[in-house]
Amino acid sequence: MDARHKIEEALSVVWDEREKNNDSAADVRQKIKDKIGEEMVESLIADGYIASGADRIQLTAKGEAVARDVTRRQRLAERLLIDVLELNRNEMDSSACALEHILSKEVEESICTLLGHPKECPHGLPIPAGSCCAKARDYLESVVVPLSKLSAGEAAQIVYVLTREHPQLHKLMSFGVTPGAKISVHQVFPAFVIQVEETQLALESEIAKEIFVKRIKN
Amino acid sequence: MNIALVGNPNVGKSVIFNALTGSYVTVSNYPGTTVDVSKGPGRFGGQKYTIIDTPGVNSLVPRSEDEKVTKEILSRPDTAIMVQVADSKNLKRSLLLTLELIELGRPLVLALNMSDEAKERGIAIDVKKLSDRLGINIVETIAVTGDGITKLKEAIARTKAPSPAVEYLKTEREGARPDSISLARAREKVAAALLKDILTFSKPLKKDIAEAIGRITTRPLTGVPILMGIMVLMYFFVGKFAAGTMVDFFENAVFGKFINPFFVSVADNYISMKLLRDFLIGDYGVLTMALTYAFAIIFPIVTAFFIFFGFLEDSGYLPRLSVLSDAVFKTIGLNGRAILPMILGLGCGTMATLTARILDTKKERILVSILLTLAIPCSAQLGIILGILGSISAKALVLWLVIMLSVLMGVGFVASKVVPGARSPFIQEIPPVRMPQIKNILVKTFARLKWYLREAVPLFVLGTILLFVLDAVGALNAIERLVSPVVVHLLGLPEKATEAFIIGFLRRDYGAAGLYALSRSGLLDGIQTLVSVVVVTLFVPCVAQFFVTIKERGVKTACLIGGFVFVFAFLFGGALNFALRYCIDTLKIPLI
Repeated sequence: MDARHKIEEALSVVWDEREKNNDSAADVRQKIKDKIGEEMVESLIADGYIASGADRIQLTAKGEAVARDVTRRQRLAERLLIDVLELNRNEMDSSACALEHILSKEVEESICTLLGHPKECPHGLPIPAGSCCAKARDYLESVVVPLSKLSAGEAAQIVYVLTREHPQLHKLMSFGVTPGAKISVHQVFPAFVIQVEETQLALESEIAKEIFVKRIKN
Repeated sequence: MNIALVGNPNVGKSVIFNALTGSYVTVSNYPGTTVDVSKGPGRFGGQKYTIIDTPGVNSLVPRSEDEKVTKEILSRPDTAIMVQVADSKNLKRSLLLTLELIELGRPLVLALNMSDEAKERGIAIDVKKLSDRLGINIVETIAVTGDGITKLKEAIARTKAPSPAVEYLKTEREGARPDSISLARAREKVAAALLKDILTFSKPLKKDIAEAIGRITTRPLTGVPILMGIMVLMYFFVGKFAAGTMVDFFENAVFGKFINPFFVSVADNYISMKLLRDFLIGDYGVLTMALTYAFAIIFPIVTAFFIFFGFLEDSGYLPRLSVLSDAVFKTIGLNGRAILPMILGLGCGTMATLTARILDTKKERILVSILLTLAIPCSAQLGIILGILGSISAKALVLWLVIMLSVLMGVGFVASKVVPGARSPFIQEIPPVRMPQIKNILVKTFARLKWYLREAVPLFVLGTILLFVLDAVGALNAIERLVSPVVVHLLGLPEKATEAFIIGFLRRDYGAAGLYALSRSGLLDGIQTLVSVVVVTLFVPCVAQFFVTIKERGVKTACLIGGFVFVFAFLFGGALNFALRYCIDTLKIPLI
């Protein structure tokens, strides 16, 4: 692992711990050591990526930018490997780890668009938004689209459901609307009506916007 | 020792519960929640049990109150046996719950209910194979007809802890959260593997026809005309046949010629106290007014309505109607599911208020209660109203309809902005279109009528007693004198109309009928008729509906709604009166 990668890895550890509301210097130091194999805290402070005081560690503006970036790339890579390439969990973890360091800015934005600007990684952790998400560019046609973009008669396979955004979406899961389920669209107006195996389900378009699918040939 | 009944919503759990317990059932609120739990006694294998009906859940992940309560009941040490009721045609979905239940390790019996519907859709289940694979007793049942119930009871009596073929049930854990997608996915795979060569599908011709019917009801182009057609049918069956012919028969022939005169003569001969005589058979007599109203008038009407409604329900039409109407309801802060209480309100507003429970948020329930109280006339009134308006002109009828719909949408829109709370998104399962089963309809109608007799009739009697008391102490006249200035000056109606409005609180039809009498004897002109009909439609609901609203929404909310409706009806009537007078008399536009 070269120097740049080590810095990125270490900062992503700080980001992860912060997500869990843990900014204890001792914990972060240990976790960085476990992941990379050496002490990085001092050099990170020296380079201005983190600040430390009273046993707490925080990202500086400079460190924040790098950490945010690498976390975004890592989680996008995970989504890509699981959703589009359909690897299993173990394969994903090891590949994503390597992938995150070689994605350039353009490639990252293309992948984000391809995936339909996902908001969560497969572990359920939030993916920091990028500028492409804000502009929602469609230069590259998304493979993964919200259900609301489908028309009557199309068939699709569910890729993921944004359960965190909406408690009722949990209700959907128990109707059979889970990742991997195959569905077909009966109608889109005045409400969406889809078929999930033996169940016919009516949904409003706001809900359809939060179900992400992959079109499949009928 | 308890037996817990568990299963997805809408699988027929309550029917099985009734079949297993008989009639002595108590419904109580689960402590600390708003969930109602039914309990009843049962005897299996010579041992007494208490059967507990848990709320319908799709999984045991404790997210909603229903799931938390169910999980808790299942985990209690005194829950000896679990009986899962499943939907045979959606076996895979039910199986996901079964897998969770098997993991609890308690004795489990699976009832594959609605097995007739699965067969209708060409789905055949190899029950023996499934039973062996899961290691539990499985019984096919059709709860509404009672098929398989005896076998189910036997199975419960000899049930043991599950002994599943272990290799099928290892689900990935990986420290995943209980509600994580990966666990759900893993269970899906296990369920699919379990069902391999257990389910066989044949596609009967009927299915295609059913699907085609389903499609034309949910698209606006074809759906709206169909809805109109159904409304017309309902008018003829409930409005003309029941409210007209049947009521005439019961009110005039049965009660008028036999029952009431009998009571009157008995009272005249054996009861000397005038007050008591008046109480029983006077103008506001319990026997002559309340019972006549409840049985001769309302009973035939609601019976006809419940039967008609049962057809709509059983055929699977109602959820499709909710699809059609969702967009409209969204504008007033509700969603398509609100169509159910609204339609029921056309039959009996009391029952409709109870049905508002199916809506998810408190705000939606309040909104529906407001609209039911204000703008949905029940079948008792509807027939007479249509008759009155029809006798003026078709245009008056159309105008009334337009006014009512505008009030409904207008007040609904404003109320949705004023009442605090959130809307819930529209997610509704659409059951398959099926041929309505007469037996099912009769069973449900019977249950609803039983409810009506137990709950609504006593309220009518109570209301009559109230009116009797008010009349006896002269308060009724006082109220009339108070209200009539408003009626005369604001609404432009003759003084006699006041009595119709006040009585309308107890007997909805009396209010409308009173106006009918006035209009027929030429005391009301066209505008006055329309204004009075609009006001009586908007006016406060019958006493039974008001009491039930208190029970469901609380005294404060119910009184606020009642007060608002009272004031709104008169103010709106006044405005309508002036608008109509201006347009017709001054501008000479022939609106009626």
